[in-house]
Amino acid sequence: MSEQTVDQEYIHVPILVDVPYRFDAGKYMTRFLVELRDNEKIYGIKCPSCKRVMIPPRIVCARCHVKCDEWVELSNEGTLEAFTIMYFPMTDPTTGKPHDPPFSYGSVKLDGCDAPIDHMLNIEPDMSKIKVGMRFRVKFRPREERRGDLADIEYFDPIE
Amino acid sequence: MTDRVAIVAAAKTGFSPSRSDANYSELAYEVIEKVLTETGLTIGDDIDNSISCSHDIWDGQTISNIGITDVIGGHLRNEEKMAMDGSTAVYYGTIAILSGEYNLTLLLAHTKMSQTNRNIVNNDAFEPIFSRKLGLDYTSAGALQATRYMHVHGIQRDQVAKVAVKNLGNASRNETAHNFGFYSVEDIIESPVLATPITQKEMAPDTDGAVAMILASEKAAKKITKNPVWVNGIGSSYDAHYLGDRDLAMSRALEQAAGRAYAMAGIKNPVKDVDVFEVGEEFAHQELMWYEGLGLCEAGKGGELIDSGRTLFEGDIPVNPSGGLLGGVPANVAGLHSVAEAFLQLRGEAGRRQVKDAGVAVVQGQSGHCGQHHCVVVLGRD
Amino acid sequence: MKRNVAIVGGGQTHHAARRQDVSQPEMVNEAVLAALKDANMTMDDIDAVLLGNMEFFEGQHMTDCWLADSTGAFGKPGLKITTGGTVGATIIAAGAHHVASGLFDRVLCIGFEKQEEGDTNAILSGVAHPLFGRSMAGAAMGFFAMLGSSYMANFGATEEHSAMVAVKARQNARKNEYAHLKLNIKIEDVMNSRMLAYPIRMLDMCPASNGACAMVLADEKTAKDRCKKPVWLRAMETAHNEQFVLEWRDTSSTAPKFSDVAATRVYKKLGVKDPASYYDVFEIYEPATWAEILWYEDLHLCKKGEGFKLIEKGITEIDGSIPVNPSGGVLSTNCIGASAMLRIWEAALQIRGDAGGHQVPRDVHRALATGYGGTCWTVVTSLSDSLED
Repeated sequence: MSEQTVDQEYIHVPILVDVPYRFDAGKYMTRFLVELRDNEKIYGIKCPSCKRVMIPPRIVCARCHVKCDEWVELSNEGTLEAFTIMYFPMTDPTTGKPHDPPFSYGSVKLDGCDAPIDHMLNIEPDMSKIKVGMRFRVKFRPREERRGDLADIEYFDPIE
Repeated sequence: MTDRVAIVAAAKTGFSPSRSDANYSELAYEVIEKVLTETGLTIGDDIDNSISCSHDIWDGQTISNIGITDVIGGHLRNEEKMAMDGSTAVYYGTIAILSGEYNLTLLLAHTKMSQTNRNIVNNDAFEPIFSRKLGLDYTSAGALQATRYMHVHGIQRDQVAKVAVKNLGNASRNETAHNFGFYSVEDIIESPVLATPITQKEMAPDTDGAVAMILASEKAAKKITKNPVWVNGIGSSYDAHYLGDRDLAMSRALEQAAGRAYAMAGIKNPVKDVDVFEVGEEFAHQELMWYEGLGLCEAGKGGELIDSGRTLFEGDIPVNPSGGLLGGVPANVAGLHSVAEAFLQLRGEAGRRQVKDAGVAVVQGQSGHCGQHHCVVVLGRD
Repeated sequence: MKRNVAIVGGGQTHHAARRQDVSQPEMVNEAVLAALKDANMTMDDIDAVLLGNMEFFEGQHMTDCWLADSTGAFGKPGLKITTGGTVGATIIAAGAHHVASGLFDRVLCIGFEKQEEGDTNAILSGVAHPLFGRSMAGAAMGFFAMLGSSYMANFGATEEHSAMVAVKARQNARKNEYAHLKLNIKIEDVMNSRMLAYPIRMLDMCPASNGACAMVLADEKTAKDRCKKPVWLRAMETAHNEQFVLEWRDTSSTAPKFSDVAATRVYKKLGVKDPASYYDVFEIYEPATWAEILWYEDLHLCKKGEGFKLIEKGITEIDGSIPVNPSGGVLSTNCIGASAMLRIWEAALQIRGDAGGHQVPRDVHRALATGYGGTCWTVVTSLSDSLED
């Protein structure tokens, strides 16, 4: 039986599942976040075997399965690899609130890195004004607002 | 059955109430690196399957195995996650190798209980409308189980506390345990009460850590080590969910799981045929119940068995020489830790907690409240 | 595998956006009873029960324990396995391992999701690393938007091509009594549907469905003794992608891709040279239109960069030479934990000739099914009516 009959009442019980977390960043992400927060620097990690530079920094290169320990300072500027304009109010799980649509969202490959970082783009959400290949620069939040979190990067600014 | 499966390596992180120095993939890699180094095996050339145990809600990560894909070698390879106790990784890993699909399987279990709230997580495991809204968690449900079990069989308060005395004492000989000490029955009973009759020293403490292991087909195992430990029997079973549907004074699911594992391993009399047991006692009273479910004594005689001293480290049926879960082992990791301990016992590598001439070991792990799901693994030197 | 494994029965619920007439256990039980009936078995015949869904999507921890009555797992061996969107196919692979091991003869496999009971988009954002990208994540939609824009830029496909996939799926769904989105739509309707994340419009995405699928797997003897039309599981291959880097999201990249890697392994195992002619039908997991076009290429049904031509020429229509998703696919029905299993079940129904209104108009001997989930993981499963190939 799959049809709901009109005269049958069904009760639906609302439950708010609220689970608090406190995530441990660990060795690699802690160093990344501290550099971001304190020095406005973005670090990647280099695989000793395939030599690719990865962001975020992590303990193992998934492709070579070797431990990574060479830190590489990345440029604050990079190239847009892919983008989208979000017309849908995605929920931000860290705040529980939706981002206001529309907003531009893109993948920027920072110079010196082999993988892009996804973030908000500070550019009018207009298809004709955003192109793959455009250059962007990291906009850090003011020092007093930074708290050791990816949101310490406010967004990427287009480079004129 | 002619084909067999062996454990060829096992490693565990140090366990502690909080490993805030490492995220869970870093914890996982600590133990993965150890088992690979010890065996000389590599992800690229040797390991052809991996199985992990964790829960999204514990990790706060949707599809929690995403976080260990890189370190377990899952990139462009197979990995499957059991959202259950770690013992089920050995259970399913054995099945997968017996299927003929794989030769060498890397197992991993990891949890950082410090990152969230155990009572909320456990409450979310209850059916949402009839049970969850009462605020039940594993501790309150476990307390109902303890009271019922003690009432039905006339189990005495001190008999339950003796499990904690034994296990916390045993844990002092286990270098990875963090909850240990030599206590009296009074110390246990007088520790802060969580939900009567369960006191703080009778509950497995919040713990962070990980365990890794390598399972091998018979052919592969013999090439890797002269000292493999064989998985000779496996069994599992579910009990009912609603507490009202269960006979809380016994564990039908454990009897079934143990029966299946014993039949496969050819164990007729576990008291005589098995040299050492590692069981998953989230609460002290459960160890007495698991004695009964595993056939170490008759129903209701768990209290007498602990009184007899036979399950002490130096007894003839040693149970939890590692200190068990009370010694401090993370949820989900628990069963894989128990298997790792049994592995060390059978290899004669258990150090100060080594049981004499251990040839056959039985491990039991549980998932869900009051042991709703049980998994039993029989291990042997031969 | 050491023993041959057959699908000897299966069943599914009628999938819908709202199933407020049933609780999760009741909904799962519908599929279980349908599968047992189709297999002509009772729970007494079942040796083990395996369950999978998206963990915690409905705010429920350890669903296997709660559902132990309605799945029939009470008193039986069983496991809960979860691997994200691929889980339905992972459960079938696990069921096959159980049977092939020789320890179990008949295994019940179940996948389900009751999406209306939770907040799927917020939870899917949780796929991102908690400290890196979660607050920025565009969930699955943002990912497919970037994939689609890259594909168009590189290969000259247009938004109309993805719209054709959207139309095919919903028109096929109209022939499938169990499908969720049975829409009589045209390309204009897709183009006029609400923009979600450029170039993904509402009708380019899968819906959030409620539903369950269950299947019974058995050993060769049981299959031959008790099943008129056993469908054999000939090969299964799983490939995950690493956590952070999806290099081929830039569609010009030549980096090894999970889907291509898994399919290639299946073809190698079975000696398949030309999958387009070897298989009679495909059931693939396409959470978004662009994913289907890329599957054509990754499954080697055409050359790289030419996937959009298959849909343009009608080749993958239900009566085309390479029918893909005659069921309407995931674009029409996405009860996530069941979705990958539904691909395998629909493929099996095609081989049995039991697909009903959406049976492809040709003899079907072999079929390929795929899953999709996690940070781009897949399980590719090859099915046949024969043990000879």
